[in-house]
Amino acid sequence: MNEQIASIQSSALELIAAANDARALDDARVAVLGKKGTLTLAGALIKDIPNEEKATFGQSLNAARTEINAALQQKENILQAIADANALSGIDLTLPPRSLPTGGLHPLTLIRDEAIQILRRMGFALADGPEIEDEYHCFDALNTPADHPARNEKDTFYFNSGKLLRTHTSSVQIRTMETSTPPIRIIAPGSAYRRDEIDATHLSVFNQLEGLFVDTDVTLPDLKGTLEYFFHEMFGTSTEVRFRPHFFPFTEPSFEIDVKLQIKGQAPRWIEVAGCGMVDPAVFKSINATRKDNALDPKKITGFAFGMGLDRLAMIRWGIKDIRLLIENDTRFLSQFAQ
Amino acid sequence: MNISLNWLSNHLDLSGKSIEEISDLFTFAGVEVEGIITKGIASDKIVVAQIKEAVQHPDADKLKVTQVDCGEGQLRQIVCGAKNYKVGDKVPCCLPGAQLPAGFTIGETKMRGVESKGMLAAAEEIGLPKGEDGLLILPEDSPIGVPVKTLFDSDTLLELEVTPNRPDLLSHAGMARELATLLKTPLIKGSKGSAGVSPASSDFIKLEATAACPFYAATRIDNVTVTESPEWLKQRLTSIGLRPINNIVDITNYVLHETGQPLHAFDAAKVSGAIVIRQAKDGESFKALDESEHVLTTEDLLISDESGAALALAGVMGGLDSGVTESTTSIILESAYFTPSGIRRTSRRTALSSDSSYRYERGVDPQGVLPAAALAITLLESGSPNGCLTQSAGTLPPAPAPVSLDLDKLHHLLGNSISTEAAEEILNRLGLTKQADGTWIIPSFRQDLTRHIDLAEEITRVHGLANVPSRFRATLVPTSDVDTAYDADMILRRRLASLGLFECQTIKLISESQLSDILPLRPLQEGDLIRVKSPLSEDHAIMRPSIIPGLVASAERNARQQAKSIRLFEMGRVFRNAGGGKAVDQESESLAILISGNSQPSSWAIKDRAADLYDAKAILSALLPSQTISLKPKDRENFALGAEIKAGDQTIGVFARLSLQRERDLDFISPVFVAELDLGKLRKIISAKSQVEDLPQFPGSTRDAAMELSLGTPNAEIEAVLGNAKEPLLVSYECFDLFTDPSGQKIAADRKSIAYRFNYRASDRTLKANEVDAAHQNILKLLARIDGLVFR
Repeated sequence: MNEQIASIQSSALELIAAANDARALDDARVAVLGKKGTLTLAGALIKDIPNEEKATFGQSLNAARTEINAALQQKENILQAIADANALSGIDLTLPPRSLPTGGLHPLTLIRDEAIQILRRMGFALADGPEIEDEYHCFDALNTPADHPARNEKDTFYFNSGKLLRTHTSSVQIRTMETSTPPIRIIAPGSAYRRDEIDATHLSVFNQLEGLFVDTDVTLPDLKGTLEYFFHEMFGTSTEVRFRPHFFPFTEPSFEIDVKLQIKGQAPRWIEVAGCGMVDPAVFKSINATRKDNALDPKKITGFAFGMGLDRLAMIRWGIKDIRLLIENDTRFLSQFAQ
Repeated sequence: MNISLNWLSNHLDLSGKSIEEISDLFTFAGVEVEGIITKGIASDKIVVAQIKEAVQHPDADKLKVTQVDCGEGQLRQIVCGAKNYKVGDKVPCCLPGAQLPAGFTIGETKMRGVESKGMLAAAEEIGLPKGEDGLLILPEDSPIGVPVKTLFDSDTLLELEVTPNRPDLLSHAGMARELATLLKTPLIKGSKGSAGVSPASSDFIKLEATAACPFYAATRIDNVTVTESPEWLKQRLTSIGLRPINNIVDITNYVLHETGQPLHAFDAAKVSGAIVIRQAKDGESFKALDESEHVLTTEDLLISDESGAALALAGVMGGLDSGVTESTTSIILESAYFTPSGIRRTSRRTALSSDSSYRYERGVDPQGVLPAAALAITLLESGSPNGCLTQSAGTLPPAPAPVSLDLDKLHHLLGNSISTEAAEEILNRLGLTKQADGTWIIPSFRQDLTRHIDLAEEITRVHGLANVPSRFRATLVPTSDVDTAYDADMILRRRLASLGLFECQTIKLISESQLSDILPLRPLQEGDLIRVKSPLSEDHAIMRPSIIPGLVASAERNARQQAKSIRLFEMGRVFRNAGGGKAVDQESESLAILISGNSQPSSWAIKDRAADLYDAKAILSALLPSQTISLKPKDRENFALGAEIKAGDQTIGVFARLSLQRERDLDFISPVFVAELDLGKLRKIISAKSQVEDLPQFPGSTRDAAMELSLGTPNAEIEAVLGNAKEPLLVSYECFDLFTDPSGQKIAADRKSIAYRFNYRASDRTLKANEVDAAHQNILKLLARIDGLVFR
């Protein structure tokens, strides 16, 4: 009997060795160990064996089963390894990808957001106002004389109603001060309009960011510190910032701010980036007159205001040579800002 | 305004100061330096050369080959095309290495095969004023070999932008006074003319408009000879870019740029009787010396004579017929103080402006009116006084009122960075004087100083912000509604960018022809458009009531650049009236989206496919994942496939495809889908705070149903049935297959097969199969009511 088992075992091992795929291996397992498998059938013969031989027979049967199972397992491992290798072979990692559409934010949005993030860190809240403005909010309340050149129909878009397209976001200062009381700490990004022919450096519609801080103890050191911090955050902490005396009807003293920047391939030079100043007491007076109170008492209240051109900041930041690129929306341009 | 440094140096010692230092000085005086032009010859390598020989070029009719002596010990051969010289003349020779103002450097070269070691130059080629055609012929006694620059004066012209509050800086004397203050150096006192002044007799000046002209002085000067100006005077004027005309005109121009006080000279022979200063009559006409003609109003101030003839538009421009000519022998010289606002008004209305009006409308120094006349007279008499007398009418504006300086406010403003003494010293240097009562007397040329803050500004300006400490502080401020809106907008922007759309920015003024592309949330009525009164061009004439026209134009531009996939969005204001103009100037904010062309960039792995309606819908759905987005057909003029965009039951925008004709007109080769959404509503959705729902505790079951129905039955009918079904176990459903066959082989061509999967679940138990089946049967029964629907 033991010879018979030995023979079953050796032919089973041959069968396993010959199996080249999972299916052939499973067939081999069934042929040997299945219900009608050779080893199963041989095992059934134990009942016919004399009692004294049963132990030996059982042992050799078990030994054969163990051996065959081990061979099956080993072969299965080998076949799986081959199958796994096949599943990965021929995959070309260097082929280009499938495609997903890419998009991006407009550079003006990016620069505006950067400016807003910096100013929010200093506790400025956003404010806004209408773009179709009246002369009062755009000029009168901002201490601009009735015959100031900016009011010219040559420079400003008017409507038949007498209203106009705001020439600066400074009108938002007035709107905010009319409806809130100090401390007022706001920034107002928005569009402004001037009757300029569109060319490489001018747009008739452009983007500004206005800031205003009005309280009982607002001084030139606050103005200076706030804007130095802003431009250091914007252009790097080592950037030199200077304040040039200037004139605006609605601030006194007034300054223009230059930063010294190195543009690729050029010597560092001062570049004008913003205007600012201490709110002129005349502005507070006209707002009090509108409010019919003295909430902005020029004896107690001081403030500073600033404004900057976002289109200009974007041009400086990215070395954009023609401002028209900002409104043409050529995706070959826009895709360069995809983050 | 142009300032000549040589001229300025007559008033102020600027020696040893570099142009950069002087430029900085102006900058910190609040005067913007817009340009610096160095005149004269810059290069040392342009030398005096004598032409020793000139022979015809063998190969060029118009060229000569010259041998010139540049003092180098040997002659230099130079090919030259000029004709105006003769052998023996001395001319400028640019040696190799010389840099010319035109921006190039001279080298050795061959011209038509003949060696040429430099260039003989014309005046304008080396930075001198243009002279006669051809080479600049130098004086015979010019030493050979010396740099030509030593033979000519050089000067630096500064182009300055003076702010409107500082008319006192609009002259060389005024600018020098300011620089002297900043530099703490004394002014060089020049000789000033002096002339007697007497009250005007009424047969010489009749001042009728004292409001517009508080003070008018005139001087009759006889026996003048109109001639060319002396060299120094011509040089002064050309140094600031003015063209010399004759001695009379040049002197008035010189005095204006020297003192800031405009003067005007009339030909006395053309004045009949007294000079009359009066308001113009309504409709009176005036012909200016630039030959422009103007119809005046009673707001304009005229200088006329007793015959009524207009001599000049006061302070703005002389008349064509009253000016000085070569035959003039007597002149009347005007020096006046005109009220600034009147000059501004007239200048603006007539669009006439001049160096005079520029100064008058900003305000001249009242105390400078007579000295300017005196200086002009001295110059006209040129050393031989003829005893002319200036007569004046009216009174000069009073001296500015004294102004108090509030020291507490000053020190607070400046962060205690300056001592009181230093602050007061600055005011002293600026010409202010402190009185016993502590107030400050303001010099007549600083009419702009009327309040404490004006004095504080002067101190700050001279002190410099660089010397003020910086204070850094933050404040706690509550979030505003604008903050919340901004944050929502940024979420939407980033989401759209992630979905593969590029953000655009377009001009908010559009043209009449772009109106066919507008897709406002609510259609416009007649009178709802807002037009600007005087547009720069027809392209930018109307406030956009919709962003779509801008996006269509941007898409067209990208398509022209062969962009295969165009996916754009823009956020911003739109403008309209409402109710046919009943409610005016309404501003709201929109989000607009446009997609056209390939749904995805080309790739080996995906077949190119033009984006369709459902791609557009996918973007809308992904934009607001918390919402069920649907389109409800609603026709829009000029568009195809118009629909309202719904988020649940709320209408949040408009959707459409450009009309197919419009797509063809614009050369689009794939459909163009557009949407304009109400940003206000989107912000509310984005900003809404929601509570989480518990996760289901028990598994659900699904059942599928395939339905066949008429091709024309909209899917909305199925969704309407399912939306209204009151089956509590149905938690969701999705459409997972759609099949049509235009050939009619697998399904009738006018039929479609659509398959839905239904998800059933209870929150408190695992459903048994028969419960699910019962619920599903309910749903199928409801669906079966749809006209023509059969289950497959």
